[in-house]
Amino acid sequence: MVAGLSDREITADIIESCRKGDREAFHALFLAYKDKVYSIALYFFHGDEAAAGDITQQVFLKLLLGIGQFRNEADFSTWLYRLVVNACMDGARRAKPQKLVSREIDIDTLPGTESLERDFARAQTARSVRAALAALPVKFRLPVLLRYFEDLSYSEMASAMKCSMGTVASRLNRAHKMLAEKLEFLR
Amino acid sequence: MNSRPPKERLELPLVKAPDSIWTSIEAALDAQIQSTAARPRQFWAWGLGAAALIVIGVFVWRAANTPKPEWNVVRVDGQPSIGSRPIGDAAKIAAGERLRTDASSRARIAVSDIGTVEVSPNTQIQMVAARPSEQRLKLISGEIAASVSAPPRLFFVDTPASTAVDLGCAYTMKADGEGNGILRVTLGWVSLEWEGRESLVPAGASCRTRKKVGPGTPFFEDASQLLKDAVAGFDFNGASDADLETVLAEARVRDTLTLWHLLSRVAPADRPRVYRRIAEIAPPPATVSRDKILQLDRAALKLWREELAWKW
Repeated sequence: MVAGLSDREITADIIESCRKGDREAFHALFLAYKDKVYSIALYFFHGDEAAAGDITQQVFLKLLLGIGQFRNEADFSTWLYRLVVNACMDGARRAKPQKLVSREIDIDTLPGTESLERDFARAQTARSVRAALAALPVKFRLPVLLRYFEDLSYSEMASAMKCSMGTVASRLNRAHKMLAEKLEFLR
Repeated sequence: MNSRPPKERLELPLVKAPDSIWTSIEAALDAQIQSTAARPRQFWAWGLGAAALIVIGVFVWRAANTPKPEWNVVRVDGQPSIGSRPIGDAAKIAAGERLRTDASSRARIAVSDIGTVEVSPNTQIQMVAARPSEQRLKLISGEIAASVSAPPRLFFVDTPASTAVDLGCAYTMKADGEGNGILRVTLGWVSLEWEGRESLVPAGASCRTRKKVGPGTPFFEDASQLLKDAVAGFDFNGASDADLETVLAEARVRDTLTLWHLLSRVAPADRPRVYRRIAEIAPPPATVSRDKILQLDRAALKLWREELAWKW
């Protein structure tokens, strides 16, 4: 019915269908957002695919089971990313004692990526960027991922991260400075 | 180099989520919402026979899909009862009704479609409200374990000395008939509120409640026993200087959760000591001034909390 829509095409009708328990609408919603949610979790957890899969499942399950409470699209998007932030933070807290798995993401084995092996230089750049991102403290890593993958506004990020827009702006600014310093050699 | 790398320079490819995630989600959905999803189809099937039946079918379908102020309850062990009637394997509890378990019984409540509440032995709860904007129960005495997936501030648990406000979480709540008890959060956040007093409790932390006092100061379960005992002494046994000194001395980075709450709970003369200790462990951001914190400026306190919360 509605499978294959982009997140921009997710309408109030689809959310309304989800609220009524329409499984196809659920699936459309999942398809529209799954890669972004998974990617945010994957980069957040330093390339740990198992952790990213768990977070994605947890986020969508909570989303789908609670969607009956929503009235409009704006709330939906904000809530989705709040769930992502909460799940990542909870996951990071739980992982703290054992230290996060820090398996390097191997870009060549990631499904859905372009054929990067044909562009070695680009792959090297990508690897450096991911390493720099993984080295950012949690509080700076999350806003960068939210901004990069979903292009959330400051107010949307503030709502998702339960902090002020000023805090978001300052963290993004510092994160970008740190990334710029770490990636200076790429210029 | 520009301080903000352009997005295209970040080179972070969108990664395709494995298809197996949806399979797992569907399995979980089947288990939790199958019965809700099946009901309307049955009514429509019956309505195909005759026009009159269709009318009746539509009417019944609408009635069945109107949210009712009741929750489903299942017996887990023993013989729980609602009011004076023992429940069989399953029952419904309506607003105003009480569910009781004895020493050998337990029950599970499905709180609309937002989560579950496990009712432990020797517990008494009362259902208060089941509206789209508010799901509320009263823990009269005993212990419950709540697990909720819903927007913040939709699910509430009242005790005689507190209200636990769900901010998207899982937790246990224990209280006696007067409200003395403890909240333990295992996932997400809970705001424990009572008569203008508020304690924010994240996963891994607990907060005691006490009759006529309300919520105490939250603390992490893995804090030192000395700190936990001193917090209890400070909250409910006269707020002695010795207890405060112990809390300050024992606090780790994570225990700034406790110290941040103490800022607004200590006497004004003690506030600079608390501020100094937090600042030693986790300096405030440049936008937060000492003076504002000592004046308990809400915006400054919130800003600092947001910064500290990353370490909680």
